[in-house]
Amino acid sequence: MARHLSPCSSSSTTTTFSPSSFNHEAHLSRKFVVVPSRTYSSTWVSRIHTRINQRMHPQLKSSNGHPLNAAYMQDGLPGNPLAKEHFEPRMKQRPIPLSEPEKAESTLSITVVGASGDLAKKKIFPALFALFYEDCLPENFTVFGYARTKMTDEELRNMISRTLTCRIDKRENCDDKMDLFLKKCFYHSGQYNSEEHFAELDSKLKEKEAGKLPNRLFYLSIPPNIFVDVVRCASLRASSANGWTRVIVEKPFGRDSKSSGELTTCLKKYLTEEQIFRIDHYLGKELVENLSVLRFSNLVFEPLWSRNYIRNVQLIFSEDFGTEGRGGYFDNYGIIRDIMQNHLLQILALFAMETPVSLDAEDVRNEKVKVLRSMRPLQLEDVIVGQYKGHSKGGKSYPAYTDDPTVPKDSLTPTFAAAALFINNARWDGVPFLMKAGKALHTKRAEIRVQFRHVPGNLYKRNFGTDLDKATNELVLRVQPDEAIYLKINNKVPGLGMRLDRSELNLLYRARYPREIPDAYERLLLDAIEGERRLFIRSDELDAAWALFTPLLKELEEKKIVPELYPYGSRGPVGAHYLAAKYNVRWGDLSGEDS
Amino acid sequence: MASLSSTNCRAYSSTSSSSYAASSSVHHGHHQRLAVSSVPKRFLRNKISLQSQSNPFSTGVRMQDGAVATKVTPVENETPLKLKEGLLSVTSSEESKDAAGFEFSEDKSTVSITVVGASGDLAKKKIFPALFALYYEDCLPEHFTVYGYARSKMTDAELRTMVSRTLTCRIDKRENCGEKMDQFLKRCFYHSGQYDSEENFAELDKKLREHEGGRVSNRLFYLSIPPNIFINAVKCASLSASSSSGWTRVIVEKPFGRDSESSAALTRSLKQYLEEDQIFRIDHYLGKELVENLSVLRFSNLIFEPLWSRQYIRNVQFIFSEDFGTEGRGGYFDNYGIIRDIMQNHLLQILALFAMETPVSLDAEDIRNEKVKVLRSMRPLELENVVIGQYKSHTKGGVTYPAYTDDKTVPKDSLTPTFAAAALFIDNARWDGVPFLMKAGKALHTKRAEIRVQFRHVPGNLYNRNFGTDLDRATNELVIRVQPDEAIYLKINNKVPGLGMRLDRSNLNLHYAARYSKEIPDAYERLLLDAIEGERRLFIRSDELNAAWALFTPLLKELEEKKIIPECYPYGSRGPVGAHYLAARYNVRWGDLGLEQ
Repeated sequence: MARHLSPCSSSSTTTTFSPSSFNHEAHLSRKFVVVPSRTYSSTWVSRIHTRINQRMHPQLKSSNGHPLNAAYMQDGLPGNPLAKEHFEPRMKQRPIPLSEPEKAESTLSITVVGASGDLAKKKIFPALFALFYEDCLPENFTVFGYARTKMTDEELRNMISRTLTCRIDKRENCDDKMDLFLKKCFYHSGQYNSEEHFAELDSKLKEKEAGKLPNRLFYLSIPPNIFVDVVRCASLRASSANGWTRVIVEKPFGRDSKSSGELTTCLKKYLTEEQIFRIDHYLGKELVENLSVLRFSNLVFEPLWSRNYIRNVQLIFSEDFGTEGRGGYFDNYGIIRDIMQNHLLQILALFAMETPVSLDAEDVRNEKVKVLRSMRPLQLEDVIVGQYKGHSKGGKSYPAYTDDPTVPKDSLTPTFAAAALFINNARWDGVPFLMKAGKALHTKRAEIRVQFRHVPGNLYKRNFGTDLDKATNELVLRVQPDEAIYLKINNKVPGLGMRLDRSELNLLYRARYPREIPDAYERLLLDAIEGERRLFIRSDELDAAWALFTPLLKELEEKKIVPELYPYGSRGPVGAHYLAAKYNVRWGDLSGEDS
Repeated sequence: MASLSSTNCRAYSSTSSSSYAASSSVHHGHHQRLAVSSVPKRFLRNKISLQSQSNPFSTGVRMQDGAVATKVTPVENETPLKLKEGLLSVTSSEESKDAAGFEFSEDKSTVSITVVGASGDLAKKKIFPALFALYYEDCLPEHFTVYGYARSKMTDAELRTMVSRTLTCRIDKRENCGEKMDQFLKRCFYHSGQYDSEENFAELDKKLREHEGGRVSNRLFYLSIPPNIFINAVKCASLSASSSSGWTRVIVEKPFGRDSESSAALTRSLKQYLEEDQIFRIDHYLGKELVENLSVLRFSNLIFEPLWSRQYIRNVQFIFSEDFGTEGRGGYFDNYGIIRDIMQNHLLQILALFAMETPVSLDAEDIRNEKVKVLRSMRPLELENVVIGQYKSHTKGGVTYPAYTDDKTVPKDSLTPTFAAAALFIDNARWDGVPFLMKAGKALHTKRAEIRVQFRHVPGNLYNRNFGTDLDRATNELVIRVQPDEAIYLKINNKVPGLGMRLDRSNLNLHYAARYSKEIPDAYERLLLDAIEGERRLFIRSDELNAAWALFTPLLKELEEKKIIPECYPYGSRGPVGAHYLAARYNVRWGDLGLEQ
């Protein structure tokens, strides 16, 4: 039974405030000093509140005004109540500018910087089209490609059109829609560090915006070394004069605490915190989104969500292919930076966080930062690194990582890593959180596994044989492929005996939701357009994440730790099992039972 | 992946002997060994557990409810066991129960199963086929004899022909079926006699002896006869056809009386001739696969037990519905009504299993002690917490379905309820204030039996806004469907895939037919096997029965004295509307009549 909401709206529902909450806020606003809101802020956001939750912006402001404030806020230091109060009043201003004429007058320009790149072609343009197809983009919008390649608008359109697909379940009018979409796509060629070229872009944008209230979104699909140049040029020359300007950046966000800190400092020279949208596309995955829904909208999970009942948690990511000749970027980062420090750690934080005050971005991100800051930095002995080697199977031979021509022959970069992490707070003390990520493994999957404790004083102990671990309950959230949620339970095998069996209570998405699940990029782009920051990474989150991994990464590099080799297509280095065993854990994905 | 532990037919004796062993460490090692080594020696082990049960049994009753404490007389069937023990070793020390020694006795023991009322419907449809299935699965002892006993004159061959017509082989094990059937039929015999004639039973005894051929004889009588002749048959069987060297057990089916008094009178009469542990009161619902599974779910999974209380459970619903009426056979039913026929026994038993505290072990006495505790913590039913109904005729698609009172075997002015809904409460620490709703009816729109557990609302739900106005719809629900299509599912809220944030209630489910392609054995098979093996877990003890009647008798009397008129509902409908109002009164919504199920 589905409950209503508009198709494009995200969790932060536009809501009617109940009279009581209204009164309450009014009361607050009278009571506390009202800091005058900056004049631009209301226009800035005016377009978007149809979707986003009103409380988000004001709170952001507080972390924006004082860049380091976020950390305080979430600690519940005195800054918190005050910060909260001074934006409450604006909440009520907001609904007023939301009038029809103004809505019609605004326009959105999306500039994909690095338009000729792979990500842009494969993910960003298709995601934009999907949003357009689903009527999730504003009425007036323009898409601009920007790159160094010389290209005409027509050539860009040709390039894009090749990658656009219509959803399987909505084929009608697809071509019409595609044409309409392509007509709104343009191209501008320029250098990434040329303010002049961005100024040209600006004038083209202005032309398209035709006097309407312009909002501008820049998607930086470019290598990290030119991030700052582009941000400088875009912000100085192509910012919106009276609408908002937002910049989406993709990982890598530095290589360690220091470089990440520098990057943030540089970005902040030209952008305020609330203009920066650090994307982690894993957070846009359907089941990751669902994680919070599962936890917080079901009664049956939350009572179990602690060290009292959970024995360990496993975050598993595996790819069944290697770098395949494109290891240049990867070799500089390695699997820990590429997958663990961002994707898996983000999921862990969402999994383990306390219940947020609300679903607002700032509330959720505050809780995530708290988790990260409660964690011990990783220790070398809690980590296993591996690198795949060549392997021949069935007459076919698969290359080693170092066979990749773009990878140095003596590279020690890990293509596999397993780690045990601990959260030293009241809820999770002593519960091992195991992460595992690897390339060129036997399977492609991403999943979260929650293994529950043994049943104390189990009446059926006898019926389980010797391995009680096999008899524990397990909750599995499979993020990909074949999204599914299942809960392993013990039940009786039908028949006259009393044999117990572990079967699954399951929900296979494909079976229940035959509709195609939208790509993570669609959601994230939409969120950025609408100013919903819940799934983007705040600076203090990023700092906290790096603080956990930087000492380990440094040690690995300084000590030149040699990764354990594992054959291409195998289950990864055996060391991962010993690491798990050290904490009395058994990997759920390699237990013999298939799933 | 099955983590197997016991053999095909083993019910519980491994666990029961284990818990027994737990009390004495000497025992422990010994039984361990037995359990490991004795797959084929099932029946031996069973005797061990049997014996261990017969002693703690009387204490069990006392423990349970001091007042009712029964006379602690030496149990009849202990004698043979003691005798055997004596044979094996003079001291009754544990060491005497040597595996080898038991092997010896197994060879010499035999089971005779006498179906009293062999020509009846139940015998033909359920009992003989169940016996054959047990035989087919190698769950019967090597030496066994099946005897039909009834008033009709019949030869052995005629009985065999009659029986053979209803035997079927499991779908998944067709091979050798014909052969097996022949072998089984060769062991079936018939004896014609009156139910109240000791002489006729003495003749039966003689025939049984012949077949037993000097082995230790164990005898099981299945009384598939109307309640008014229970006592006569029991008297004759016990006086004239009891086993002299092995055990004698009697299986009786409901009705066990009509109310507290008649039930107690029946029990008293039975006890004139039988000891408590010879009486096996069958409630075939307890033999259903998913009812069996209920305890497994609760006690072998970590995730359910923490939720199993008033803190998380909003209400529990026990639903039984049949999609047909009495169909010309209402004579018996009219005398009892749906409350006695379904609620007071089947549903109440399931309720007790559902709500009981964790037993000390899985032994029959431990479980039944806990069940009685639940029953005794319950408030007797009150008239205002009950809705009764009776189906009326209904025409749909040109077909006219008869009213209950159109049944020729039913009086025209019958007020017997064919439908009832009731709210029950358990006044203990775990369940205080949680409504347990029961609903049972005939001639409804569907055939099903299920348990529904509705959980509370999520306190301070962050997603309240996404649920619309009806928060009840957003609660979790655990459904255990007993029939048809056995299944377990848990309704959870999840996000609808897509760019929005729509929430949806989906099922985490386990559909038995999908996971277990094997046919699920009939409840009677399990119960017969348990009776043969002396496993009493699924049979109803006298004090349980008394406690169950104590809950329902005042209500039943009031209904009859006040001549409460049942609400009429059309044949094939969803039952009387009153059931909704009853539920609403306790803030419950029937889970089976929502839009989604």
